[in-house]
Amino acid sequence: MNAAGRQRAMRVAVAALLLTPAMAIIALGFVAPLIRLAILSFSSPAGPLAAYRELATVDVYRVVLRNTLVLALVVSVASLAIGFALSLALMRLEAGWRAIVFACVVLPLWISVLVRTFSWMLILERNGPLNRFLAALGIVDQPLPLLFAFPGVAIGMVHVLLPYAILPIYAALSRIDPALLRASGGLGASRVTTFRRVLLPLSARGLATAATFTFLLSLGFFVTPALLGGPSDTTISMLIDSFVNERLDWPLAAAASMTLLAMALAVIGLAGRFVPVSALSEVG
Amino acid sequence: MTPAGAWTKAFAALLAAAIVIPVLAVAPLAFSEQSFLQLPPQDWSVRWWGVFFGDASWIRALLTSLEVAALSCLLSVTTGTSAALGLLRLGPRMRALATGLFLGPMVAPVIVLAVGLYALARSLGLVGSTIGLVLAHTMLALPYVVLNVGVSVAGLDPRLALAASGLGASPWRVFRTVTLPSILPGMLGGGIFAFVTSFDEVVLAVFLAGPSVKTLPVRIWEEVRVEYTPVVAVAATIMIILAVIGSAMGRLVTRRTA
Repeated sequence: MNAAGRQRAMRVAVAALLLTPAMAIIALGFVAPLIRLAILSFSSPAGPLAAYRELATVDVYRVVLRNTLVLALVVSVASLAIGFALSLALMRLEAGWRAIVFACVVLPLWISVLVRTFSWMLILERNGPLNRFLAALGIVDQPLPLLFAFPGVAIGMVHVLLPYAILPIYAALSRIDPALLRASGGLGASRVTTFRRVLLPLSARGLATAATFTFLLSLGFFVTPALLGGPSDTTISMLIDSFVNERLDWPLAAAASMTLLAMALAVIGLAGRFVPVSALSEVG
Repeated sequence: MTPAGAWTKAFAALLAAAIVIPVLAVAPLAFSEQSFLQLPPQDWSVRWWGVFFGDASWIRALLTSLEVAALSCLLSVTTGTSAALGLLRLGPRMRALATGLFLGPMVAPVIVLAVGLYALARSLGLVGSTIGLVLAHTMLALPYVVLNVGVSVAGLDPRLALAASGLGASPWRVFRTVTLPSILPGMLGGGIFAFVTSFDEVVLAVFLAGPSVKTLPVRIWEEVRVEYTPVVAVAATIMIILAVIGSAMGRLVTRRTA
Protein backbone atom coordinates (compact mmCIF):
# COMPACT_ATOMS: atom_id res chain seq x y z
CA MET A 1 0.00 0.00 0.00
CA ASN A 2 1.40 3.40 -0.91
CA ALA A 3 1.51 6.38 1.45
CA ALA A 4 -1.60 8.05 -0.03
CA GLY A 5 -3.59 4.84 0.28
CA ARG A 6 -2.49 4.35 3.87
CA GLN A 7 -3.50 7.89 4.71
CA ARG A 8 -6.93 7.31 3.12
CA ALA A 9 -7.48 4.07 5.04
CA MET A 10 -6.44 5.83 8.24
CA ARG A 11 -8.91 8.64 7.52
CA VAL A 12 -11.80 6.20 6.98
CA ALA A 13 -10.89 4.32 10.17
CA VAL A 14 -10.91 7.54 12.19
CA ALA A 15 -14.24 8.53 10.66
CA ALA A 16 -15.74 5.14 11.52
CA LEU A 17 -14.47 5.37 15.08
CA LEU A 18 -15.93 8.86 15.52
CA LEU A 19 -19.29 7.78 14.09
CA THR A 20 -19.64 4.55 16.08
CA PRO A 21 -21.17 5.83 19.36
CA ALA A 22 -23.91 7.88 17.64
CA MET A 23 -24.57 5.10 15.13
CA ALA A 24 -24.96 2.63 18.01
CA ILE A 25 -27.62 4.86 19.58
CA ILE A 26 -29.45 5.25 16.27
CA ALA A 27 -29.23 1.48 15.67
CA LEU A 28 -30.57 0.64 19.12
CA GLY A 29 -33.06 3.48 19.51
CA PHE A 30 -34.32 3.92 15.94
CA VAL A 31 -33.51 1.04 13.58
CA ALA A 32 -34.03 -1.86 16.00
CA PRO A 33 -37.48 -0.70 17.20
CA LEU A 34 -38.66 -0.30 13.61
CA ILE A 35 -37.41 -3.78 12.69
CA ARG A 36 -39.10 -5.18 15.80
CA LEU A 37 -42.38 -3.53 14.75
CA ALA A 38 -42.06 -4.83 11.20
CA ILE A 39 -41.63 -8.39 12.50
CA LEU A 40 -44.49 -7.99 15.00
CA SER A 41 -46.81 -6.75 12.28
CA PHE A 42 -46.52 -10.11 10.47
CA SER A 43 -46.86 -12.20 13.63
CA SER A 44 -50.64 -12.36 13.98
CA PRO A 45 -51.80 -15.85 15.01
CA ALA A 46 -54.32 -15.74 12.16
CA GLY A 47 -51.56 -15.54 9.53
CA PRO A 48 -48.76 -13.21 8.49
CA LEU A 49 -50.96 -10.69 6.67
CA ALA A 50 -54.00 -10.97 8.95
CA ALA A 51 -53.30 -7.75 10.85
CA TYR A 52 -52.95 -5.72 7.64
CA ARG A 53 -56.09 -7.37 6.23
CA GLU A 54 -58.03 -6.44 9.35
CA LEU A 55 -56.87 -2.81 9.10
CA ALA A 56 -57.87 -2.61 5.45
CA THR A 57 -61.30 -4.24 5.77
CA VAL A 58 -62.84 -3.21 9.10
CA ASP A 59 -64.97 -0.11 8.56
CA VAL A 60 -64.02 1.60 11.83
CA TYR A 61 -60.33 1.55 10.89
CA ARG A 62 -61.03 2.87 7.41
CA VAL A 63 -62.95 5.77 8.94
CA VAL A 64 -59.99 6.49 11.23
CA LEU A 65 -57.65 6.51 8.25
CA ARG A 66 -59.94 8.91 6.40
CA ASN A 67 -60.23 11.13 9.52
CA THR A 68 -56.46 11.30 9.77
CA LEU A 69 -56.02 12.30 6.12
CA VAL A 70 -58.84 14.87 6.18
CA LEU A 71 -57.50 16.41 9.39
CA ALA A 72 -53.95 16.53 8.03
CA LEU A 73 -55.17 18.16 4.82
CA VAL A 74 -57.36 20.78 6.53
CA VAL A 75 -54.66 21.63 9.05
CA SER A 76 -51.90 21.85 6.42
CA VAL A 77 -53.90 24.08 4.08
CA ALA A 78 -54.90 26.39 6.94
CA SER A 79 -51.32 26.57 8.30
CA LEU A 80 -49.98 27.29 4.81
CA ALA A 81 -52.50 30.06 4.11
CA ILE A 82 -52.01 31.77 7.48
CA GLY A 83 -48.25 31.19 7.33
CA PHE A 84 -47.97 32.73 3.85
CA ALA A 85 -50.04 35.77 4.85
CA LEU A 86 -47.99 36.37 7.97
CA SER A 87 -44.70 35.86 6.11
CA LEU A 88 -45.72 38.50 3.55
CA ALA A 89 -46.65 40.88 6.37
CA LEU A 90 -43.33 40.12 8.13
CA MET A 91 -41.40 41.11 4.99
CA ARG A 92 -43.05 44.51 4.93
CA LEU A 93 -42.65 45.34 8.62
CA GLU A 94 -39.86 47.60 9.86
CA ALA A 95 -36.88 45.73 11.29
CA GLY A 96 -37.79 46.35 14.95
CA TRP A 97 -41.39 45.16 14.63
CA ARG A 98 -40.29 42.28 12.45
CA ALA A 99 -37.95 41.04 15.19
CA ILE A 100 -40.75 41.15 17.76
CA VAL A 101 -43.30 39.32 15.58
CA PHE A 102 -40.64 36.80 14.56
CA ALA A 103 -39.82 36.12 18.22
CA CYS A 104 -43.53 35.49 18.82
CA VAL A 105 -43.53 32.97 15.96
CA VAL A 106 -40.57 30.93 17.21
CA LEU A 107 -41.26 31.10 20.97
CA PRO A 108 -43.86 28.27 20.90
CA LEU A 109 -41.27 25.92 19.33
CA TRP A 110 -39.48 25.87 22.67
CA ILE A 111 -42.55 25.09 24.73
CA SER A 112 -43.84 21.57 25.14
CA VAL A 113 -46.69 20.57 22.81
CA LEU A 114 -48.37 19.12 25.89
CA VAL A 115 -48.36 22.49 27.67
CA ARG A 116 -49.63 24.30 24.58
CA THR A 117 -52.41 21.74 24.12
CA PHE A 118 -53.37 21.98 27.79
CA SER A 119 -53.69 25.76 27.36
CA TRP A 120 -56.04 25.21 24.43
CA MET A 121 -58.19 22.86 26.53
CA LEU A 122 -58.80 25.75 28.91
CA ILE A 123 -59.37 28.31 26.16
CA LEU A 124 -61.75 26.14 24.12
CA GLU A 125 -63.92 25.01 27.04
CA ARG A 126 -67.69 25.42 26.88
CA ASN A 127 -67.49 28.33 29.31
CA GLY A 128 -63.95 29.23 28.34
CA PRO A 129 -62.68 32.63 27.19
CA LEU A 130 -63.11 31.96 23.46
CA ASN A 131 -66.79 31.07 23.78
CA ARG A 132 -67.42 34.01 26.10
CA PHE A 133 -65.61 36.31 23.67
CA LEU A 134 -67.73 35.10 20.75
CA ALA A 135 -70.90 35.49 22.84
CA ALA A 136 -69.89 39.00 23.90
CA LEU A 137 -69.44 39.98 20.26
CA GLY A 138 -72.90 38.58 19.56
CA ILE A 139 -71.52 36.09 17.01
CA VAL A 140 -73.04 33.10 18.79
CA ASP A 141 -76.07 32.70 21.10
CA GLN A 142 -75.01 29.37 22.53
CA PRO A 143 -71.48 28.27 23.42
CA LEU A 144 -69.95 26.35 20.50
CA PRO A 145 -68.84 22.77 21.13
CA LEU A 146 -65.16 23.44 20.39
CA LEU A 147 -63.38 21.20 22.87
CA PHE A 148 -63.55 17.44 22.27
CA ALA A 149 -64.63 18.14 18.68
CA PHE A 150 -63.10 18.67 15.25
CA PRO A 151 -62.79 22.49 15.46
CA GLY A 152 -60.79 22.20 18.67
CA VAL A 153 -58.37 19.65 17.20
CA ALA A 154 -57.96 21.72 14.04
CA ILE A 155 -57.35 24.99 15.94
CA GLY A 156 -54.87 23.37 18.31
CA MET A 157 -52.96 21.64 15.53
CA VAL A 158 -52.77 24.74 13.31
CA HIS A 159 -51.40 26.63 16.29
CA VAL A 160 -48.71 24.01 16.88
CA LEU A 161 -47.79 23.69 13.19
CA LEU A 162 -47.80 27.37 12.25
CA PRO A 163 -44.09 27.97 13.01
CA TYR A 164 -43.16 25.02 10.78
CA ALA A 165 -45.13 26.67 7.94
CA ILE A 166 -43.87 30.22 8.54
CA LEU A 167 -40.12 29.50 8.84
CA PRO A 168 -39.55 27.96 5.37
CA ILE A 169 -41.96 30.36 3.62
CA TYR A 170 -40.37 33.39 5.26
CA ALA A 171 -36.89 32.07 4.42
CA ALA A 172 -37.89 31.72 0.74
CA LEU A 173 -39.48 35.17 0.63
CA SER A 174 -36.48 36.87 2.19
CA ARG A 175 -34.22 35.34 -0.49
CA ILE A 176 -36.17 37.13 -3.23
CA ASP A 177 -34.32 40.15 -4.60
CA PRO A 178 -36.54 43.18 -3.85
CA ALA A 179 -35.33 44.72 -7.11
CA LEU A 180 -37.37 42.10 -8.98
CA LEU A 181 -40.56 43.25 -7.29
CA ARG A 182 -39.75 46.91 -7.94
CA ALA A 183 -38.98 46.08 -11.56
CA SER A 184 -42.26 44.24 -11.98
CA GLY A 185 -44.18 47.17 -10.51
CA GLY A 186 -42.11 49.68 -12.47
CA LEU A 187 -42.89 47.88 -15.72
CA GLY A 188 -46.58 48.38 -15.04
CA ALA A 189 -47.62 45.07 -13.48
CA SER A 190 -50.46 45.34 -10.98
CA ARG A 191 -49.88 44.12 -7.43
CA VAL A 192 -51.92 41.01 -8.19
CA THR A 193 -49.82 40.26 -11.27
CA THR A 194 -46.57 40.80 -9.35
CA PHE A 195 -47.84 38.45 -6.67
CA ARG A 196 -48.94 35.79 -9.15
CA ARG A 197 -46.04 35.96 -11.61
CA VAL A 198 -43.06 36.95 -9.41
CA LEU A 199 -43.68 36.39 -5.72
CA LEU A 200 -45.52 33.08 -5.91
CA PRO A 201 -43.16 31.24 -8.32
CA LEU A 202 -40.08 32.45 -6.44
CA SER A 203 -41.43 31.27 -3.09
CA ALA A 204 -42.67 27.93 -4.47
CA ARG A 205 -39.87 25.93 -2.88
CA GLY A 206 -40.52 27.43 0.53
CA LEU A 207 -44.22 26.70 0.17
CA ALA A 208 -43.48 23.10 -0.85
CA THR A 209 -41.19 22.62 2.15
CA ALA A 210 -43.83 24.09 4.46
CA ALA A 211 -46.55 21.89 2.95
CA THR A 212 -44.40 18.77 3.34
CA PHE A 213 -43.53 19.60 6.90
CA THR A 214 -47.02 20.43 8.11
CA PHE A 215 -48.63 17.46 6.36
CA LEU A 216 -45.95 15.05 7.58
CA LEU A 217 -46.20 16.23 11.18
CA SER A 218 -50.00 16.33 11.23
CA LEU A 219 -50.26 12.75 9.92
CA GLY A 220 -48.46 11.42 12.99
CA PHE A 221 -49.82 13.89 15.56
CA PHE A 222 -50.77 12.26 18.82
CA VAL A 223 -50.87 14.56 21.86
CA THR A 224 -53.07 17.33 20.43
CA PRO A 225 -55.84 15.20 18.85
CA ALA A 226 -55.82 12.85 21.85
CA LEU A 227 -56.48 15.72 24.27
CA LEU A 228 -58.63 18.07 22.16
CA GLY A 229 -60.60 15.58 20.07
CA GLY A 230 -63.82 13.69 20.73
CA PRO A 231 -64.58 10.03 20.02
CA SER A 232 -65.31 10.77 16.35
CA ASP A 233 -61.96 12.53 15.83
CA THR A 234 -59.83 9.44 16.38
CA THR A 235 -56.64 9.54 14.30
CA ILE A 236 -54.38 6.66 13.33
CA SER A 237 -51.88 7.51 16.08
CA MET A 238 -54.64 7.33 18.72
CA LEU A 239 -55.74 4.01 17.22
CA ILE A 240 -52.19 2.67 17.59
CA ASP A 241 -52.15 3.81 21.22
CA SER A 242 -55.44 2.03 21.95
CA PHE A 243 -54.23 -1.18 20.23
CA VAL A 244 -51.22 -1.21 22.55
CA ASN A 245 -52.72 -0.02 25.81
CA GLU A 246 -56.35 -1.14 25.68
CA ARG A 247 -56.67 -4.07 23.28
CA LEU A 248 -53.12 -5.32 23.91
CA ASP A 249 -53.07 -6.41 20.26
CA TRP A 250 -49.42 -6.07 19.24
CA PRO A 251 -49.69 -7.36 15.65
CA LEU A 252 -52.48 -4.88 14.94
CA ALA A 253 -50.59 -2.02 16.64
CA ALA A 254 -47.45 -2.89 14.68
CA ALA A 255 -49.31 -3.14 11.36
CA ALA A 256 -50.98 0.25 11.95
CA SER A 257 -47.56 1.71 12.85
CA MET A 258 -46.03 0.33 9.65
CA THR A 259 -48.93 1.82 7.67
CA LEU A 260 -48.40 5.24 9.25
CA LEU A 261 -44.65 5.00 8.64
CA ALA A 262 -45.28 4.05 5.00
CA MET A 263 -47.56 7.08 4.63
CA ALA A 264 -44.89 9.35 6.10
CA LEU A 265 -42.24 7.89 3.78
CA ALA A 266 -44.59 8.31 0.81
CA VAL A 267 -45.00 12.00 1.67
CA ILE A 268 -41.22 12.44 1.92
CA GLY A 269 -40.66 10.51 -1.31
CA LEU A 270 -43.26 12.54 -3.15
CA ALA A 271 -41.94 15.80 -1.72
CA GLY A 272 -38.37 14.79 -2.56
CA ARG A 273 -39.24 15.36 -6.22
CA PHE A 274 -39.85 19.02 -5.48
CA VAL A 275 -37.92 19.67 -2.27
CA PRO A 276 -34.47 18.33 -1.46
CA VAL A 277 -34.85 16.28 1.73
CA SER A 278 -32.06 18.34 3.30
CA ALA A 279 -34.40 21.36 3.14
CA LEU A 280 -36.54 19.66 5.76
CA SER A 281 -33.72 20.03 8.23
CA GLU A 282 -33.45 23.79 7.62
CA VAL A 283 -36.56 24.23 9.72
CA GLY A 284 -35.42 22.34 12.79
CA MET B 1 -41.55 45.53 -1.14
CA THR B 2 -43.84 48.37 -0.10
CA PRO B 3 -43.58 49.20 3.61
CA ALA B 4 -46.37 47.94 5.82
CA GLY B 5 -49.54 50.00 6.09
CA ALA B 6 -51.71 50.18 9.18
CA TRP B 7 -53.74 47.13 8.14
CA THR B 8 -50.68 44.96 7.63
CA LYS B 9 -49.31 46.02 11.00
CA ALA B 10 -52.62 45.30 12.72
CA PHE B 11 -52.83 41.91 11.02
CA ALA B 12 -49.29 40.95 12.05
CA ALA B 13 -49.82 42.15 15.63
CA LEU B 14 -53.12 40.29 15.92
CA LEU B 15 -51.64 37.06 14.59
CA ALA B 16 -48.56 37.36 16.80
CA ALA B 17 -50.88 37.76 19.78
CA ALA B 18 -52.94 34.77 18.65
CA ILE B 19 -49.74 32.72 18.52
CA VAL B 20 -48.28 33.78 21.88
CA ILE B 21 -51.32 34.26 24.15
CA PRO B 22 -52.54 30.64 23.94
CA VAL B 23 -49.04 29.46 24.83
CA LEU B 24 -48.92 31.55 27.97
CA ALA B 25 -52.62 31.36 28.91
CA VAL B 26 -52.00 28.59 31.39
CA ALA B 27 -49.53 30.61 33.49
CA PRO B 28 -52.08 32.92 35.25
CA LEU B 29 -53.98 29.83 36.39
CA ALA B 30 -50.98 28.71 38.42
CA PHE B 31 -51.67 31.74 40.61
CA SER B 32 -55.39 31.12 40.94
CA GLU B 33 -57.19 30.88 44.27
CA GLN B 34 -59.96 28.55 43.04
CA SER B 35 -59.69 24.78 43.06
CA PHE B 36 -60.97 24.48 39.48
CA LEU B 37 -59.39 25.80 36.33
CA GLN B 38 -61.13 28.68 34.64
CA LEU B 39 -59.76 31.55 32.63
CA PRO B 40 -59.31 34.22 33.81
CA PRO B 41 -58.86 33.42 37.51
CA GLN B 42 -61.08 35.37 39.92
CA ASP B 43 -58.75 35.56 42.92
CA TRP B 44 -55.01 35.29 43.15
CA SER B 45 -52.84 33.16 45.42
CA VAL B 46 -49.71 31.05 45.41
CA ARG B 47 -51.27 28.18 47.34
CA TRP B 48 -51.04 25.73 44.40
CA TRP B 49 -47.28 26.27 44.31
CA GLY B 50 -47.27 25.15 47.92
CA VAL B 51 -49.32 22.09 46.95
CA PHE B 52 -46.92 21.29 44.10
CA PHE B 53 -43.77 21.59 46.20
CA GLY B 54 -45.41 19.81 49.12
CA ASP B 55 -46.25 16.74 47.01
CA ALA B 56 -43.44 14.19 46.85
CA SER B 57 -44.68 12.69 43.56
CA TRP B 58 -44.58 16.06 41.73
CA ILE B 59 -41.14 16.84 43.12
CA ARG B 60 -39.92 13.42 42.05
CA ALA B 61 -41.35 13.96 38.57
CA LEU B 62 -39.55 17.30 38.28
CA LEU B 63 -36.25 15.77 39.44
CA THR B 64 -36.68 12.79 37.10
CA SER B 65 -37.28 15.17 34.18
CA LEU B 66 -34.16 17.18 35.02
CA GLU B 67 -32.07 14.04 35.42
CA VAL B 68 -33.23 12.47 32.15
CA ALA B 69 -32.81 15.79 30.29
CA ALA B 70 -29.30 16.37 31.67
CA LEU B 71 -28.17 12.83 30.84
CA SER B 72 -29.66 12.87 27.31
CA CYS B 73 -28.12 16.30 26.72
CA LEU B 74 -24.68 15.05 27.79
CA LEU B 75 -24.94 11.81 25.79
CA SER B 76 -26.28 13.43 22.62
CA VAL B 77 -23.72 16.27 22.66
CA THR B 78 -20.73 13.95 23.09
CA THR B 79 -21.85 11.30 20.58
CA GLY B 80 -23.32 13.92 18.21
CA THR B 81 -20.17 16.05 18.15
CA SER B 82 -18.05 12.99 17.55
CA ALA B 83 -20.41 11.99 14.72
CA ALA B 84 -20.32 15.45 13.13
CA LEU B 85 -16.50 15.31 13.12
CA GLY B 86 -16.68 11.81 11.65
CA LEU B 87 -19.11 12.87 8.90
CA LEU B 88 -16.62 15.53 7.82
CA ARG B 89 -14.03 12.84 7.11
CA LEU B 90 -16.34 10.77 4.88
CA GLY B 91 -16.64 10.98 1.11
CA PRO B 92 -19.71 12.83 -0.20
CA ARG B 93 -21.78 9.70 -0.92
CA MET B 94 -21.15 8.01 2.43
CA ARG B 95 -21.74 11.30 4.18
CA ALA B 96 -25.16 11.75 2.54
CA LEU B 97 -26.11 8.19 3.51
CA ALA B 98 -25.00 8.56 7.14
CA THR B 99 -26.63 11.99 7.46
CA GLY B 100 -29.87 10.51 6.14
CA LEU B 101 -29.76 7.87 8.86
CA PHE B 102 -29.20 10.53 11.52
CA LEU B 103 -32.17 12.55 10.24
CA GLY B 104 -34.46 9.50 10.42
CA PRO B 105 -35.79 10.17 13.93
CA MET B 106 -36.80 13.66 12.81
CA VAL B 107 -39.22 12.46 10.15
CA ALA B 108 -40.59 9.21 11.62
CA PRO B 109 -43.95 9.72 13.38
CA VAL B 110 -43.27 9.90 17.10
CA ILE B 111 -46.03 7.42 18.00
CA VAL B 112 -44.36 4.81 15.76
CA LEU B 113 -41.04 5.38 17.52
CA ALA B 114 -42.78 5.20 20.89
CA VAL B 115 -44.56 1.90 20.19
CA GLY B 116 -41.43 0.38 18.62
CA LEU B 117 -39.26 1.43 21.55
CA TYR B 118 -41.88 0.14 23.98
CA ALA B 119 -41.94 -3.26 22.24
CA LEU B 120 -38.15 -3.45 22.29
CA ALA B 121 -37.81 -2.17 25.86
CA ARG B 122 -40.34 -4.73 27.08
CA SER B 123 -38.32 -7.61 25.71
CA LEU B 124 -35.11 -6.13 27.15
CA GLY B 125 -36.71 -5.32 30.53
CA LEU B 126 -35.99 -1.59 30.07
CA VAL B 127 -39.52 -0.24 30.61
CA GLY B 128 -39.49 2.02 33.66
CA SER B 129 -35.72 2.40 33.61
CA THR B 130 -33.90 5.72 33.44
CA ILE B 131 -31.38 4.36 30.94
CA GLY B 132 -34.15 3.35 28.50
CA LEU B 133 -35.70 6.81 28.54
CA VAL B 134 -32.30 8.52 28.29
CA LEU B 135 -31.39 6.43 25.23
CA ALA B 136 -34.74 7.22 23.60
CA HIS B 137 -34.39 10.97 24.19
CA THR B 138 -30.77 10.93 23.04
CA MET B 139 -31.89 9.30 19.78
CA LEU B 140 -34.53 12.03 19.37
CA ALA B 141 -32.07 14.87 20.04
CA LEU B 142 -29.14 13.48 18.00
CA PRO B 143 -30.25 14.88 14.61
CA TYR B 144 -30.37 18.41 16.02
CA VAL B 145 -26.96 18.10 17.66
CA VAL B 146 -25.36 16.59 14.54
CA LEU B 147 -26.88 19.36 12.37
CA ASN B 148 -25.93 22.14 14.79
CA VAL B 149 -22.35 20.99 15.29
CA GLY B 150 -22.16 20.11 11.58
CA VAL B 151 -22.74 23.76 10.70
CA SER B 152 -19.84 24.94 12.90
CA VAL B 153 -17.64 22.06 11.73
CA ALA B 154 -18.23 23.06 8.10
CA GLY B 155 -17.03 26.57 8.93
CA LEU B 156 -13.78 25.17 10.26
CA ASP B 157 -10.64 25.83 8.21
CA PRO B 158 -8.90 22.42 7.90
CA ARG B 159 -5.55 24.17 7.38
CA LEU B 160 -5.61 25.34 11.02
CA ALA B 161 -5.64 21.78 12.37
CA LEU B 162 -3.03 20.81 9.79
CA ALA B 163 -0.78 23.70 10.84
CA ALA B 164 -1.17 22.79 14.51
CA SER B 165 -0.21 19.15 13.98
CA GLY B 166 2.59 20.23 11.64
CA LEU B 167 3.94 22.29 14.52
CA GLY B 168 4.01 19.15 16.63
CA ALA B 169 0.68 19.21 18.52
CA SER B 170 -0.80 15.80 19.40
CA PRO B 171 -4.25 14.98 17.91
CA TRP B 172 -5.86 15.52 21.32
CA ARG B 173 -4.15 18.89 21.70
CA VAL B 174 -5.24 19.89 18.19
CA PHE B 175 -8.82 19.02 19.14
CA ARG B 176 -8.64 20.85 22.45
CA THR B 177 -6.97 24.06 21.28
CA VAL B 178 -8.08 24.40 17.64
CA THR B 179 -11.21 22.40 16.89
CA LEU B 180 -13.08 22.62 20.21
CA PRO B 181 -13.09 26.44 20.61
CA SER B 182 -14.59 26.93 17.16
CA ILE B 183 -17.29 24.24 17.44
CA LEU B 184 -18.20 25.05 21.06
CA PRO B 185 -21.10 27.39 20.12
CA GLY B 186 -22.58 24.65 17.93
CA MET B 187 -22.20 22.14 20.76
CA LEU B 188 -23.81 24.51 23.28
CA GLY B 189 -26.67 25.33 20.92
CA GLY B 190 -27.27 21.65 20.19
CA GLY B 191 -26.96 20.81 23.88
CA ILE B 192 -29.55 23.38 24.96
CA PHE B 193 -31.89 22.12 22.28
CA ALA B 194 -31.31 18.51 23.36
CA PHE B 195 -32.04 19.39 26.99
CA VAL B 196 -35.28 21.18 26.15
CA THR B 197 -36.34 18.45 23.69
CA SER B 198 -35.99 15.83 26.41
CA PHE B 199 -37.58 18.01 29.10
CA ASP B 200 -40.60 18.74 26.84
CA GLU B 201 -41.02 15.25 25.40
CA VAL B 202 -44.16 13.36 26.38
CA VAL B 203 -45.04 10.54 23.95
CA LEU B 204 -41.91 8.38 24.24
CA ALA B 205 -41.88 9.11 27.98
CA VAL B 206 -45.50 7.98 28.46
CA PHE B 207 -44.75 4.64 26.81
CA LEU B 208 -41.37 4.04 28.46
CA ALA B 209 -42.05 5.52 31.91
CA GLY B 210 -43.60 2.57 33.69
CA PRO B 211 -44.55 3.31 37.27
CA SER B 212 -41.04 4.32 38.34
CA VAL B 213 -39.59 6.98 35.99
CA LYS B 214 -42.48 9.36 35.50
CA THR B 215 -41.23 12.67 34.14
CA LEU B 216 -43.06 15.96 34.62
CA PRO B 217 -44.82 15.74 31.21
CA VAL B 218 -45.92 12.17 32.02
CA ARG B 219 -47.48 13.32 35.31
CA ILE B 220 -49.19 16.24 33.53
CA TRP B 221 -50.45 13.87 30.82
CA GLU B 222 -51.94 11.51 33.40
CA GLU B 223 -53.64 14.32 35.34
CA VAL B 224 -54.99 16.08 32.28
CA ARG B 225 -56.63 12.93 30.96
CA VAL B 226 -58.59 12.39 34.17
CA GLU B 227 -59.43 15.47 36.21
CA TYR B 228 -57.23 18.46 36.59
CA THR B 229 -56.56 20.98 39.32
CA PRO B 230 -54.45 24.15 39.28
CA VAL B 231 -51.46 22.01 40.37
CA VAL B 232 -51.24 20.97 36.71
CA ALA B 233 -51.11 24.65 35.78
CA VAL B 234 -48.19 25.07 38.20
CA ALA B 235 -46.39 22.13 36.58
CA ALA B 236 -47.08 23.55 33.11
CA THR B 237 -45.82 26.97 34.20
CA ILE B 238 -42.59 25.43 35.49
CA MET B 239 -42.14 23.82 32.06
CA ILE B 240 -42.75 27.18 30.36
CA ILE B 241 -40.22 28.94 32.61
CA LEU B 242 -37.58 26.34 31.81
CA ALA B 243 -38.29 26.53 28.08
CA VAL B 244 -38.05 30.33 28.10
CA ILE B 245 -34.70 30.14 29.94
CA GLY B 246 -33.56 27.58 27.34
CA SER B 247 -34.60 29.74 24.40
CA ALA B 248 -32.93 32.81 25.93
CA MET B 249 -29.71 30.84 26.42
CA GLY B 250 -30.00 29.54 22.86
CA ARG B 251 -30.31 33.08 21.51
CA LEU B 252 -27.30 34.17 23.56
CA VAL B 253 -25.18 31.35 22.14
CA THR B 254 -26.18 31.98 18.53
CA ARG B 255 -25.69 35.73 18.88
CA ARG B 256 -22.12 35.13 20.05
CA THR B 257 -21.34 33.13 16.92
CA ALA B 258 -22.98 35.57 14.54
